[in-house]
Amino acid sequence: MSAESSSARRRRRSERWAISWLPWLDVIAITAWGVLLLKYWITGRLNLLIHPNYTWLAIAGGVSLLLIGGSKALTLLPQLFPRRNGAVPAQSVQHLSLFPPGWSSTLLLVTAILGFLIIPRAFVSQTALQRGVTDTLTMTRAHPQAFRTSIDSASRSLIEWVRTLNVYPEPDAYTGQKVKVQGFVIHAPDLPEQYFLLSRFVITCCAADAYPVGLPVKLKESRKDYPPDTWLEIEGQMITAELAGKRQLTIQPRSIKQIPEPKNPYDY
Amino acid sequence: MDLNQLNSAFTLFLSLLVEAFPFLILGVVFSGLLLFFVDERKLIKLMPKHPLLGAFAGSCVGFLFPVCECGNVPVARRLLMQGAPAPVAIGFLLAAPTINPIVFWSTWVAFRDQPEIVFLRVGLSLVIATIIGWVFSAQADLRPLLQPTVARAIPTRSEERGSRGQAEVSPLLQSGTFLLGQTGQPLRMDTTELQASMVAAATFNKPLPDRLYLLLENTVQELRELGGVLILGSAIAALIQAFVPRELILGLGQGPITSILAMMLLAALVSICSTVDAFFALSFASVFTSGSLLAFLVFGPMIDLKGVGLMLSIFKTRAVIYLFALAAQLTFLSTLFLNLHVS
Repeated sequence: MSAESSSARRRRRSERWAISWLPWLDVIAITAWGVLLLKYWITGRLNLLIHPNYTWLAIAGGVSLLLIGGSKALTLLPQLFPRRNGAVPAQSVQHLSLFPPGWSSTLLLVTAILGFLIIPRAFVSQTALQRGVTDTLTMTRAHPQAFRTSIDSASRSLIEWVRTLNVYPEPDAYTGQKVKVQGFVIHAPDLPEQYFLLSRFVITCCAADAYPVGLPVKLKESRKDYPPDTWLEIEGQMITAELAGKRQLTIQPRSIKQIPEPKNPYDY
Repeated sequence: MDLNQLNSAFTLFLSLLVEAFPFLILGVVFSGLLLFFVDERKLIKLMPKHPLLGAFAGSCVGFLFPVCECGNVPVARRLLMQGAPAPVAIGFLLAAPTINPIVFWSTWVAFRDQPEIVFLRVGLSLVIATIIGWVFSAQADLRPLLQPTVARAIPTRSEERGSRGQAEVSPLLQSGTFLLGQTGQPLRMDTTELQASMVAAATFNKPLPDRLYLLLENTVQELRELGGVLILGSAIAALIQAFVPRELILGLGQGPITSILAMMLLAALVSICSTVDAFFALSFASVFTSGSLLAFLVFGPMIDLKGVGLMLSIFKTRAVIYLFALAAQLTFLSTLFLNLHVS
């Protein structure tokens, strides 16, 4: 019987422990997310995750989380001094609906810690293939945002080329135009050996909707010298090539220069 | 599974979270604030008596209470308890998670390129919620469909019905105790109860520091709960995108019927909060039909696993099944129509 009562006492003690510490877990989890959001902003990683239009939202979110975490911590402080326990409203008991006590905050905290440890990277060619750059060389969903024809063709970015092509898809119309674009290499399995795709990811909201666009590049030799995911700046002119039964606008390079991955690898 | 895939899954997961978190905070704080400052008794008096108009008005009240599907259940319950007609309460219950400014904004952010999705989401939700509210007006006395706790709290006009409700009280249901704020008892682990106790009785009369404390407490609790769900939902989206073979997703996502069914199933399972579900849907935008994205965005906020759990705190199982069946059919048919005839 005494064993029973001691186990009951132990259980009560551990419940009390949980009640006094679980709110602190909330504080830590919420604050950690606030710090993580601000860290992404300060280190420039937000660009890899969301469209720059929404940077301010992430910053405001980070600051609010810090404020909420901080205020919650302030209300918990009196609990650290048991004599003044009476001042704390009884509602600091856990109320949970979906997860057992503490799970949800632990989940939040663990993801925040993973966020601190694992550095997000820009998407690479494998993701592009997974998302289907080979299915459609033109845009898959966005409507053209900018359409400029009067400018010098060499100043068009890769995205602007694809947009232009999307509006007026006849490849011959562009034959001979000068081109100078940057992007990364994708070895599409259905292209012949001397071709690779020069690509960029476009995002409209966040990395979840990033989709790749690209133009084929025709080499004289095999594409082996340009491994996937290498960032290149290619200058040359446009030609029309017959690829997989389709006539496609293709870049014939004059110079191919390897460049470092841009700080902001996406386009908009 | 290789490292690149894993890393892109993780990046995707983080991007969903980073984009969604601000909206989640906004929703949680805003709904907490409004629960303090809007007196729903006055609101009920303003509601039209006609069932169809009532259902429509109830659906639109969401604009005043920008709650997601966790906040709407307690509010709908209080509306019912304070004598709101069934069409009003049910219209509100189903529409509020979608018909509200924060959800509109977050959907707009996600689907800037396809504004039709944003407007169709709001329009379809409004129509479906109104129709279901109207259907429920056929049941003049809603009490047989309600949990005894709620049924007994409804202002009674005929006593014999009230006594029938009394007979069904289960000893497990501590009817109405939480409304009196008796938090000393072992609490059922339930967000609803805190919200209910927070606003039901005396919030308006409490001194400001107490009210602010309750607001903070509510904010932290909802952030924790919804944050947990958000993380699970984002993880599912990221894993599906990174690891499910593309051919499978393409095959499923482009059939006019399969895509809708798949997205509705996903919506019910993922239970992601309506303020942020647009970002989840966005990760399927390039391969799934527009109709199926809409099905996700319209059906998810009305019925999902988490919501069903909460709804059972108001309705008996039978009524939840009716709601589920009606919402599912109407969503399916309307989005199928869009898939076949519009897009």
